[in-house]
Amino acid sequence: MRSLLIVDDHDGFRSWAREVLGQEGFRVVGEAADGASAIAAARSLRPQVVLLDVQLPDMSGFEVAERLRNTSAVVLTSSRAGTDYGARLARTGAVGFVAKAELSGAALAAVLAGGSP
Amino acid sequence: VTRRRWALAALGLLGLAWALGGEWVSIHHRVPENHLLDALTGLSLMGGGLLALDRRPGNRIGPLMFAAGALWFCGNWGNLGWPWLVPLMFVGSQAGTPFVAHFVLAYPTGRLGTTFERLAVGTMYVVIVGASLGFALTFDPRTVGCACPAPPFLLPSRTAADLFDTVNTWSGILLIPLFLTALWLRWRRASPAQRRSLAPFWVASVILALVYLIGIFVSKDESQGFPYLLWELRAVLQIGLPIVFVAGLLSTRLAQSAVGHLVVDLQTPVPPGDLRGLLARTLADPSVDIVYPLDGTDRWVGSDGTAARLPAPGTGHGARQVTVVERDSRPLAALIHDPALDPQLVRGVAAAAGMSIENERLHAQVRAQLDEVRASRARIVAAGDEQRRRVERDLHDGAQQRLLTLALALHTARRQLSAGQTEALADTLARANEELRLAIDELRELARGIHPTILTDAGLGPALQSLVDRASIDVKVEEVPDGRFPATIEATAYFVVSEVLTNVARHAAGSSATVEVGYHDGVLTVEVVDTGPGGADPGLGSGLRGLQDRVAAAGGRLTVTSPAGEGTTVRAELPWIP
Repeated sequence: MRSLLIVDDHDGFRSWAREVLGQEGFRVVGEAADGASAIAAARSLRPQVVLLDVQLPDMSGFEVAERLRNTSAVVLTSSRAGTDYGARLARTGAVGFVAKAELSGAALAAVLAGGSP
Repeated sequence: VTRRRWALAALGLLGLAWALGGEWVSIHHRVPENHLLDALTGLSLMGGGLLALDRRPGNRIGPLMFAAGALWFCGNWGNLGWPWLVPLMFVGSQAGTPFVAHFVLAYPTGRLGTTFERLAVGTMYVVIVGASLGFALTFDPRTVGCACPAPPFLLPSRTAADLFDTVNTWSGILLIPLFLTALWLRWRRASPAQRRSLAPFWVASVILALVYLIGIFVSKDESQGFPYLLWELRAVLQIGLPIVFVAGLLSTRLAQSAVGHLVVDLQTPVPPGDLRGLLARTLADPSVDIVYPLDGTDRWVGSDGTAARLPAPGTGHGARQVTVVERDSRPLAALIHDPALDPQLVRGVAAAAGMSIENERLHAQVRAQLDEVRASRARIVAAGDEQRRRVERDLHDGAQQRLLTLALALHTARRQLSAGQTEALADTLARANEELRLAIDELRELARGIHPTILTDAGLGPALQSLVDRASIDVKVEEVPDGRFPATIEATAYFVVSEVLTNVARHAAGSSATVEVGYHDGVLTVEVVDTGPGGADPGLGSGLRGLQDRVAAAGGRLTVTSPAGEGTTVRAELPWIP
């Protein structure tokens, strides 16, 4: 079972994501509400996967993804559609993107496996 | 004006009596000098002083010139030989010189413009009056064989008297170049108008100063030979100086004929913006500027409607004078010009150009209003963009997040259903239900912020009541007219109250407010009074600025009264005639 860090500034979303993904093939090892604590948590917890919101209060998810490129497999997420971010998604250190509305264990696993969600 | 003229006439008669009395004393004591030239020298200074007093009341040139003339005759009165009078009159006769230097340098404002000028004139007063006073106090006339009685306040000292006499005789070597330097610097910073009207006056002053300088090196006995020639030349120049000065004054009077040309020029309409050039030519002052007051404000604008400022009255380099043109005791325009210009001429020109000034003022006001409308239009567009951004952010952070968690909850519920976990399923559905309810609340609040339905459906009264009921501070609605108004008027009134109450809650938490709406004489007035700390600046807060634009767009006016410590009153007046 892959270890997972959830990074999002909305409490409600984090707790539901933990519940859904924890039931569907992931071991949630931590949560973070902003970019700085996400980077700190990733360094200490060494999760295999980081589910990372694009919009964070202190820095952009793209920036955090770049910093975590060599630590974990980063999957970006957002309440907006992936097309709203255009080519930027492809240029980050993230392995892929999954829209929040379509989030499930299977969708996340598909992105990690290299397919589009 | 008449009383002033009487006072000047009385002063003139006194001066004449003082002058003729002095000459009579000199003639009676057989003083060998040209009495006519001597009398004319002092009288011309006094006459010039009186004319300046009459034409430029409040200007120091007149008193200074008159005083220099009056002091001129002190020497004559000293010939009476009375023990207490001789030293006094000696000091007086010497003191005239710094007065002359003072008014020459102080022309035309009557004030010395630079520190150097003040230093030069001050030095002349101190050295000349000081040395002659010292001499008068220490010189005992009996030591030079005079059979006269000793002055009553004598501190006799031969050494001191000699020293003061030497200073008195030779100080000119320093003082005259000092004066000439000040005059040269004065010329350099003079405006073209000043140079034109003052050139003869200054040339005469320079020659006079040079004659004085030469006089230092020749014999003290001025009754004959070359020294007498110098004395006569000096007298003629000193008579001439006030005459040249008066001619300068009168020449600006002659310039009034220029007003006639101006009237002819104004027969053809002057395009807006061209009046300044015409006035500058008429007044022969290229620096002339004309600015206009904005109705209902204390602001001034140029002919193109851009903001302008009235210069503070100054005395130094580049000093400007402001002449406000009024009609029905309301300012119509302000002419900014060289202080050397004759005030009567400036007023004459302004009167002749009255109609053109009025035209240009209206044009300038329209331009200023147009600029203001353009600026407020840009602000309204920016405010609209900002509002859309805010709605997007509110939707994203609020209802959208709720709906996303709802999607996750339903996803979980589906899994729990297929796994037969009925208890967990019921719990998940309850939480999903709560998220949905919150999403609906947030959407409703957002929609009301965009436009309150109750305002459209029920009108201003119920809408304001509903607004007040939801407010986080204590608000009382005093009175709202029952009738309906156009949607724009109602919405503007509603958002004034809404925005002001939000401001009060944000900046003056704990205070209360009163809302009063009235409709009288075709104007809907909305007034919100709070008990907060006051001191709000309508020019700073973007919220108030936005309200001002909004009210202005509806054809109304927003005023904010906010004295520190006395609460804030925001009042919107929205004209509407059914």
